[in-house]
Amino acid sequence: MTLHWRGLGSGLVVVTLAAGSAAAQQVDPRLERLDSVTRPIVAALVDSARATALPTEPLVQRALEGATKRAAADRIVAAVRRLALDLGHARDALGPTTSPPELAAAAAALRAGAPPAILTELRRLRRESLTVPLAVLTDLVASGVPVDSAAAAVLSLAAKSRDTDLVEFRRAVERDIALGAPPASATAAAAAVTAAAVQVNAGARQQRPGRP
Amino acid sequence: MFEADEELVGRVVRHLRRPVTVDSALDERVMEQIAHLPAHRGGGTARAAWRWLTRARTVRLSPLGALAIAAAFVVVALSRPDRFYRAAPASAREFGFVVVAPRAATVSLVGDFNDWDAARTPMQRARRDASVWTAVIPLTPGRYRYAFLVDGVSWVADPAAPVARDDEFGTPSSVVTVGGS
Amino acid sequence: MGIDSVGTSDAEVVRRVLAGDTGAYAALVARYRDRLARYAVHMLGNREDAEEALQDAFVRAYRSLERCDDAARFGAWLYGILVNRCRTTGARAAKRGRVFVRDDAALNGVAHASAAEQTEGEDVVRWALARLTPEYREAFLLKHVEDLEYEEMARLTGAGVSALKMRVKRAREQLQVILREAERV
Repeated sequence: MTLHWRGLGSGLVVVTLAAGSAAAQQVDPRLERLDSVTRPIVAALVDSARATALPTEPLVQRALEGATKRAAADRIVAAVRRLALDLGHARDALGPTTSPPELAAAAAALRAGAPPAILTELRRLRRESLTVPLAVLTDLVASGVPVDSAAAAVLSLAAKSRDTDLVEFRRAVERDIALGAPPASATAAAAAVTAAAVQVNAGARQQRPGRP
Repeated sequence: MFEADEELVGRVVRHLRRPVTVDSALDERVMEQIAHLPAHRGGGTARAAWRWLTRARTVRLSPLGALAIAAAFVVVALSRPDRFYRAAPASAREFGFVVVAPRAATVSLVGDFNDWDAARTPMQRARRDASVWTAVIPLTPGRYRYAFLVDGVSWVADPAAPVARDDEFGTPSSVVTVGGS
Repeated sequence: MGIDSVGTSDAEVVRRVLAGDTGAYAALVARYRDRLARYAVHMLGNREDAEEALQDAFVRAYRSLERCDDAARFGAWLYGILVNRCRTTGARAAKRGRVFVRDDAALNGVAHASAAEQTEGEDVVRWALARLTPEYREAFLLKHVEDLEYEEMARLTGAGVSALKMRVKRAREQLQVILREAERV
């Protein structure tokens, strides 16, 4: 425990300084559920995030998850701090106008091992929200798909697929893995099928409605 | 790969082949709708559809049927998510969560969407099958971590959803992603 | 069991409707309502969407009745319209959120069959079915629940026979995986 606190010390100094007067702001009442040791540290991390215009809700939720699961104080603080850093890296990769849900999804993708350049490339390719493509990327890695295979598949689908297509794609991969397919080849095969289906659907959407 | 399991598939098929009945009100809705459409070449026969709609008829409603209708209203009323939640933003969509937990006395849905508050979203037993627990909540686009809390002590991930890989607290969580397109 | 087993009288009713007797169409609606409802409820996972798809299919069929080439096979033709309609409704429902079965009437257990015929696990089966992709669910239902021949399925869905056989096979495998997974919890 002592080691953990010491490790957290330098980060705390930074966040406290960065927070400045924000540190004195009223603590989110939901954080009352944290113990008296954890609460001020998490509150400082939240204030610091707010001061740098990062979304604070993911940090609060992560702390509350830890509290509800009765995690030790040092684990809660470490988790919140790590998430704050991931959110910052996500914004560096995606740009300052990124929405909070996109940043939260991007933080999870970075944590899963996606290189920041993949996030930047996704932003370039896709005009719509990146929340679902990033979440699909993260979930595929969690299912055992190598991160480069998952990233290549998501990038190949990002430009033209709707969110629902991407979610279906992820489900197809997970089912094939459950049925015994190697994760990387299951991903490539499902991506090819999804890309073909997206083209067909796009064509169908342009057709004149009429004949049932 | 699994060997074909005829018995399991047979059981599924037997369930699914049971008759499904639809209220005859559907017939009336269809006939009312087509009454407003041009008749086929006989002409002037939209009146026939109206006659069909407006003629006197006996509606048979068994006691069981009446019970079904009453009970359906109760279920709809009880399953309204705003029983537990504030009004959802316009972009929210309803999501259903299902877990099979035959030996549980209580199950809660707990996650980023309810401040990880175990008291906020108690799951309901399905009326037809006590081992199935369900909850329906509105979610706005985003990625949410969640888990099921069984009997107030056991954390269970959703077997139907991706796992949260970044799990720092030693108990499993799942992820649900809500898209916008 | 085919889907055109009452062909002759269907042809007669279709002829009357085409001759201008719109009211006669009610006979076709009543005849096919429940049969098609079963497919729609299982395919879409809830009664509300199923009834909407069903109603729409009947109305579309009426509007394009002149294009029903073989009136004796009105049932099969109508079925094709419903299969298509379920595809679009299902895609729209998927956009609303994760689909799962909430057949309120079935949950209350008083609308269908007798209580003795209902067995435990019905919701688990529907839950498992809802987890198949729409393509697999469609193929499984048409083959095993509606008891269609592959050639008929190919006409309804526009997919090839070998693709449909593969979908049915995969659907069976996946249902086993999903149901065994459910039993472990």
